[in-house]
Amino acid sequence: MQVDLLTFWPKILEATNETLVMVGISLLFATLIGLPLGVALVVTRPNGLLQNGALFKVLNAIVNFFRSIPFIILLVAILPITRFLVGTSIGTAAAVVPLVFFSGPYIARLVESSLLEVKPGVVEAAESMGATPWQIVFRVLIPEALSSLVLNITIATIGLVGASAMAGFVGGGGLGDLAIAYGYQRFETEVMIITVLLLVVLVQLVQTTGNLLSRKIRRH
Amino acid sequence: MIHFDHVTKVFKSNGAPLKAVDDVELKVEKGEIFGVIGFSGAGKSTLIRLANLLERPTEGRVLLNGQNIADLSQPELRKVRGKVGMIFQHFNLLEAKSVYHNVAFPLSIAGIPKKEIQKRVKEILEFVGLADKAKQYPDQLSGGQKQRVGIARALATSPEILLCDEATSALDPETTKSILDLLRRIRDEYNITILMITHEMHVIREICDRVAVMESGRVIEQGSIFEVFSNPDHQTTKNFVRTVMQDEIPESILRMIDKHDGRSHIYRVTFIRETAGEPILSRIAKGFDVEVNVLYGQITELQGVPFGNLIVEFRGDGAEILKAIHYLQTNVKIKEVTSHAG
Ligand SMILES: Nc1ncnc2c1ncn2[C@@H]1O[C@H](COP(=O)(O)OP(=O)(O)O)[C@@H](O)[C@H]1O
Ligand SMILES: [Mg+2]
Repeated sequence: MQVDLLTFWPKILEATNETLVMVGISLLFATLIGLPLGVALVVTRPNGLLQNGALFKVLNAIVNFFRSIPFIILLVAILPITRFLVGTSIGTAAAVVPLVFFSGPYIARLVESSLLEVKPGVVEAAESMGATPWQIVFRVLIPEALSSLVLNITIATIGLVGASAMAGFVGGGGLGDLAIAYGYQRFETEVMIITVLLLVVLVQLVQTTGNLLSRKIRRH
Repeated sequence: MIHFDHVTKVFKSNGAPLKAVDDVELKVEKGEIFGVIGFSGAGKSTLIRLANLLERPTEGRVLLNGQNIADLSQPELRKVRGKVGMIFQHFNLLEAKSVYHNVAFPLSIAGIPKKEIQKRVKEILEFVGLADKAKQYPDQLSGGQKQRVGIARALATSPEILLCDEATSALDPETTKSILDLLRRIRDEYNITILMITHEMHVIREICDRVAVMESGRVIEQGSIFEVFSNPDHQTTKNFVRTVMQDEIPESILRMIDKHDGRSHIYRVTFIRETAGEPILSRIAKGFDVEVNVLYGQITELQGVPFGNLIVEFRGDGAEILKAIHYLQTNVKIKEVTSHAG
């Protein structure tokens, strides 16, 4: 059976839009959670600016916990939380919640590793000048790590594009869902190919933008 | 100014506690350049980091202008740190920020108004000779220029004390000299007290007024550059002095000493201050019945004053040599050398 691609275009456009929305919104919230969490991991660690062994251990365990659950399981496991937060457990909005739970802790780890790349000597210099711990975080660590942070957030974004493909399970839609629903389940090879191509292009775009941005803000 | 009052610092890292600084008693006076030398791991960096409480003493006190800095509250400590600049071996500049913003940083975190910051940064960049580099970034600068930025940054808040942790150790000899000249100018023009640590004796000789030698966390010897260089006590100190002043008698000359026939005596003559410029040896030769033969030696400069170290052979009658020695002793330090004594 031959498909009329023309009838699929609106579907593809819609799916692309859904993917962009899911990834965009999840990225926003995941970063809002991941960035402070990553900073907290850095400052509370042993010999950190505000070292706090107990807090560090707790945060570290939480991040590891979420990082160890496969997304597809997380998606189902937190359905009650999703329902509580967005009022529904189905649709694009419902897909965002597990994506944030999935990506936030991941971003926290990436932020942590970016901030740890800043030479301890630079932090020490700032301390010797009388900087407060918060000045060191906001005026030394983050600005110095910004270029690396952008690269790492780029990686997280691409991870989100991948994870969002599974959003079909909660009716989240998106390109991945389209590929599975039509390409895999109905053997519409062309649809499959087109969606996959679109995903490839999307990932390339994200990576290229991230690289450019990272290079541009290396000095600021 | 800076008083390390029997300071000890113990690190308790994985298992055995380590005494990085061991009962150090040191006083650095206002306006002086005080050097601390020691091999790697001697505890120098730990010592200098105690001076602005980057490390907290385990025992003893660190007093700045009589104030025990461990007693200060955090805000008070930050204020004091504004009065204590610090520069580093690897510069530790903000890589993402321009030279201008690096130098502005300590002023900006202290909440100084922008206008004032502009004025001060301009002034201080001019002082260190980098007025034309304000818009550059650290990775576009040479090592010497980076250290100048580090110095400008440390001076921005007009400190009374400058701490230098191996500030020239990553630089080539030429650049080292220009940075040391700059540090001397800082002391001379602003009367800033400088505490510098290094493992290079020539740095100490070049600009320090006084020096302390550290080994295994302890200060094993301290004194004026003159005292320490002309008369080192401890073996480690002697080894350091030797890296810049050849005072060891070469093998071939030691063999000569071995063969001496009773009429010949060999002495080490140490000239200091004014006497290094005087023709003392020729006076001996003229005034006494003694032949003078300089076997080996070197005249150098310490703190702008000539300093000489000669190995001299006196040949003649024993009594006459004694008289000559007696005369010499009023002017210079003299000591008989045997082949074993070195
Ligand atoms: N934060 C630290 N924790 C544990 N040991 C340290 C620490 N800092 C320095 N040390 C140890 O203290 C000793 C002295 O180090 P340091 O002061 O850096 O010596 P130097 O600057 O003379 O080379 C070394 O054995 C070093 O390993
Ligand atoms: Mg050191």
